[in-house]
Amino acid sequence: MDARSRGPPVSASIADDLAFQSAAQLAALVRDKHLSPVELVRLYLDRIDYLDGRLRAYITVCGDRALEAARRAETAVMRGEPLGPLHGVPFAVKDQFDVRGLPTTMGSRILEHAEAMDDATVVARLTAAGGILLGKLNLTEFALGGTVQFPFGQPRNPWNLDHDPGGSSAGSGIAVAAALCAVALGEDTGGSVRSPAAFCGTVGLRPTWGRISRAGCFPLSWSMDAAGPLSRTVEDSALLLGLMAGRDPRDRLTSQRAVPDYRAGLDGEVRGLTVGVIRELTSGEDTDPEMRQPVLEAAQLLDKRGAHVEEISLPLLPHAGAVFMALADSDGAGLHLGWLRRRPGDYDQGTRRRLLTGALLPAAARHQAELARALIRAQVLAALERHQVLLCPTSPRPAPPIAQTAAPITSKAEVAARFFTRRSYTTPASLAGVPALAVPGGFSASGLPLSVQVIGRPFDEATILQVGHAWERATDWHRRRPELRGAR
Amino acid sequence: MDLSPEHVRAFARTLGLDLTGDDLAEVTHRLNGLLDALGPLGELPLDSVEPVPWTPDPEGLR
Repeated sequence: MDARSRGPPVSASIADDLAFQSAAQLAALVRDKHLSPVELVRLYLDRIDYLDGRLRAYITVCGDRALEAARRAETAVMRGEPLGPLHGVPFAVKDQFDVRGLPTTMGSRILEHAEAMDDATVVARLTAAGGILLGKLNLTEFALGGTVQFPFGQPRNPWNLDHDPGGSSAGSGIAVAAALCAVALGEDTGGSVRSPAAFCGTVGLRPTWGRISRAGCFPLSWSMDAAGPLSRTVEDSALLLGLMAGRDPRDRLTSQRAVPDYRAGLDGEVRGLTVGVIRELTSGEDTDPEMRQPVLEAAQLLDKRGAHVEEISLPLLPHAGAVFMALADSDGAGLHLGWLRRRPGDYDQGTRRRLLTGALLPAAARHQAELARALIRAQVLAALERHQVLLCPTSPRPAPPIAQTAAPITSKAEVAARFFTRRSYTTPASLAGVPALAVPGGFSASGLPLSVQVIGRPFDEATILQVGHAWERATDWHRRRPELRGAR
Repeated sequence: MDLSPEHVRAFARTLGLDLTGDDLAEVTHRLNGLLDALGPLGELPLDSVEPVPWTPDPEGLR
């Protein structure tokens, strides 16, 4: 760890200290009457007011509504009423999830005024647990990635404002990293929770497909869409997963399996665990050595703590990015065909061109991609029969400059480098339907976050959270705060 | 063989989509890039794959 940058210094302001506390710590402070939910909501609203003009994490801030909820939460505390595990804790959601009375814009002018009639199940569950909704977060248009002109402002990476915060849950990564909320909710089809978590230096969890309801969540690709938390600690992701997971009559594809107490299981014990380090994604030539290093360090740590670690080969994974785009983009194009015909000019050009490409993919090529997905899934699941978790970087390199991601495509050779390679790091878990966790892994020499990805067996989120927690306890990367130079 | 912008424009018309100018040029590059990337999949043992639906939890779904 010493060979890499130590990262930016820790800020000392007391208000910052409070804002950067974990959701679990904030809930305990509220419960013990050491912290007023009203003061806490005001603190985050002040930070949003002060910082978000540049960061652009939020599309909608519901300040009055949040303060009203905070006053009710405070009254409940003072009266000694039963309190939920998230009582008084401010959270925010990607603007892909419905909140009654607010528009679900999907980051698009097309849905700018599309007011939701009801709360998404995940929003309802977090609110029922006592959470206070602060607002709705920016995203790449229609959760696709590749937006060139963001209709609601260009989201910026808190660690370097000229760099991409990741997508599609860009605002969720920014808001958690810059402490503009306690925790956030994102949606991950091919890495849309894990990529912003990796680029912004937060924890991000994609649960098993079917573990969390998608009712009230605008779709992209039905067989891969998965809601998941972004947080500053692994414990907070465990807490949110436990609150959101489980059967939902509004989403027929949610599992009926019992929901474990993920948070209670975090004891740092990894002895006897079997771990495979994926060679193609960790040691391959596409992986920046800076991104490789924390994965190797995590593997060493687990080995020292009594886990059985070995390098494994999953040779189909470099195909995963292209297979994913063939499937997800043609699914998306099917959903958008009517608007593509009638309102093409209302899309951002990057979104429109990506959807048009998906629309024009020959059916035989899509069929081949479906079959290749089955092979990739079989390879991932076979590896997970031999190993309880798989390790690899969350991304091949740290966050790129915004200007680089917004440049037009001028040759077919650019397409693979721009779109497929990096997606091959997060899409194997999506194609296989298994859970995956992104955890902070330090900083590059240029001060940008690095990230370790832990992939697990279906419905075994508990083990990947346990591994992430063990790594987090052995490092202090999750305690680092961006200086937010240029945002203040 | 790569698709030409004329091919792509004609495909688009069959779907009721009108592609012109910069959109046509970039979508042509994107489509050719995607088809190139999918090409090697033909060398995988795809014939061995049973085309059945799959979920992580078949018993857990209604």
